[in-house]
Amino acid sequence: MAYSDGKMRQVLKNIFSLEDRPRSERIGFIIFIVIILVFPWVVETSYARAVMIKFLLFALFGLGWNLIGGYGGQVDLGQAKNVGFGAYATALMMVWWKVPFWITILPGMAFATAESFAVAYPMFRLRGHYFAIATLCVALVWKELFVFWDWTGGARGVEIPIRPTPDFAYMQFGSPIYYHYFIFLLFIAQLLFMNWFRKSKLGYQLQAIRDNEEAAASLGINVTNTKVITYCITAALGAMGGSFMAAYYLYIDPDFVMPLDLSILIAMTVMVGGAGSMWGPILGAAILIPLDMYLGAWLGAEKRLGIDYMIYALIMMFIAAREPKGIWGVFERMRKRR
Amino acid sequence: MLLEVRNLVKEFGGVVANADISLEIERGMTVGLIGPNGAGKTTLFNCIAGYYKPTGGKVFFERKEITGWPAHRVAKIGIARTFQGMKIMPNLTVEENVMVGAFCRTRDRQIARKKAQEILEMLDLSQEINIYPTELPVATQKRIELGRALATHPQLLMLDEIAAGLNPIETKEIIQILKRMKAERDLTLFLTEHVMEFVMAISEVVTVMAAGRKIAEGSPKEVAKQEKVIEAYLGERYAKG
Repeated sequence: MAYSDGKMRQVLKNIFSLEDRPRSERIGFIIFIVIILVFPWVVETSYARAVMIKFLLFALFGLGWNLIGGYGGQVDLGQAKNVGFGAYATALMMVWWKVPFWITILPGMAFATAESFAVAYPMFRLRGHYFAIATLCVALVWKELFVFWDWTGGARGVEIPIRPTPDFAYMQFGSPIYYHYFIFLLFIAQLLFMNWFRKSKLGYQLQAIRDNEEAAASLGINVTNTKVITYCITAALGAMGGSFMAAYYLYIDPDFVMPLDLSILIAMTVMVGGAGSMWGPILGAAILIPLDMYLGAWLGAEKRLGIDYMIYALIMMFIAAREPKGIWGVFERMRKRR
Repeated sequence: MLLEVRNLVKEFGGVVANADISLEIERGMTVGLIGPNGAGKTTLFNCIAGYYKPTGGKVFFERKEITGWPAHRVAKIGIARTFQGMKIMPNLTVEENVMVGAFCRTRDRQIARKKAQEILEMLDLSQEINIYPTELPVATQKRIELGRALATHPQLLMLDEIAAGLNPIETKEIIQILKRMKAERDLTLFLTEHVMEFVMAISEVVTVMAAGRKIAEGSPKEVAKQEKVIEAYLGERYAKG
């Protein structure tokens, strides 16, 4: 490694240390971790456990999307395509070649990165709403392709066969507790990455671009390259969550892992929680995911009528009009006033 | 020769914003660029700094041709600028704004932060480090933008109307700061300005533009006497008087 000992220590410190955050945040974070750790032992109902796993999954998606959407300020409405790439890479490789789950994660992330790199340069010639529309279209095209193609299982999707006995290599466990801890590990890994990222040169330069592209360029920042790199990292992180989805739900189809709803829900968790902040995506997922699942249960078949979408739209409008920095922005303002 | 502009032309559609501009800036000089509204001063700045691609002509920096380079490469080679009407990053603190400038020369956050703190201290902004710039008065924001440009460690600093909108006391403060900066660092300044007292007080050479052309060049005193310059500012009627 090119790093000297001191440099390496500095990098590790940047990854693990929260010392620049206020005390209250650090205490809150520890309480949060403890709750997640003991949760499956305290709560026994499988529905609540499933809600918890979905929350962690979407917090993971949110953390990843926060890179391009929050710190970068580029509203990407196509993250579902990357989730789909990850999910399909895992499912197809496990079904076709019986590849162990753990090995399927990297190819999924690699494909998402490569695809994003290929589409990024033309897309970043666009700005604002036009960029958002372009991301949305690319994701929709991919979804249609996955429906159309036979080798992906088409609209029927892919089913991962259930093994007769729990099998660690294929991520099939006897109890949901294992899935809980596994997604928690992925979540923590991504959180540590974000902790490093927000203090990195790339992180600062990306925020400068979000705030003012022309000023950023005058400070030696290659605006397009920085956006492209971030877009690719975001894609890889989305694919990682997608792989988990395939292994956890054991059945995927384009409507489940690649729909527009998913892209929008991911973007929304970040915006509701607070785009461009460390904790925003987690807060957003903690509110929206239980809301989504309980609304679904409560409305039952009525959900199809779109009542839940109406509620989301109302939330979205309120956030956009009154609290552009989301719930975390409200916290920060309260803290400042004191 | 630090900067050389040779026969630079910039057209927008049929409108000629810069016609055949040539100028030279020696290392260590302070050069003022003046002219009435619409003379093409900011266009010239944008052509040099990589925000516009010149239609014709060439730009050299330390004898190296940089014509048409993108802005980020121009910054890396050692030309920093501030903007007319300011472009501050509102969601980054004062310190972070300047740190982003310092990241032009380092990957290391600690080094960037240290450099930012040094510069902010020089600009009397040590108290404002953790404040968001939009909460501060315009004069302070201008100093932050100046510090941010300085943090990229430039050889040539281009200031686009840095004194616009400042009252006489604040203008004097900025002049003090610029003089101190120049003395402490090996800096060359190139500035456009409307405020005459400001340009005349600080520039060693003044270049005058009108209607896209360079019409005069010389020491501030010489230039102020020239008929063409008075005509450009006040109209033909006053030129003879």
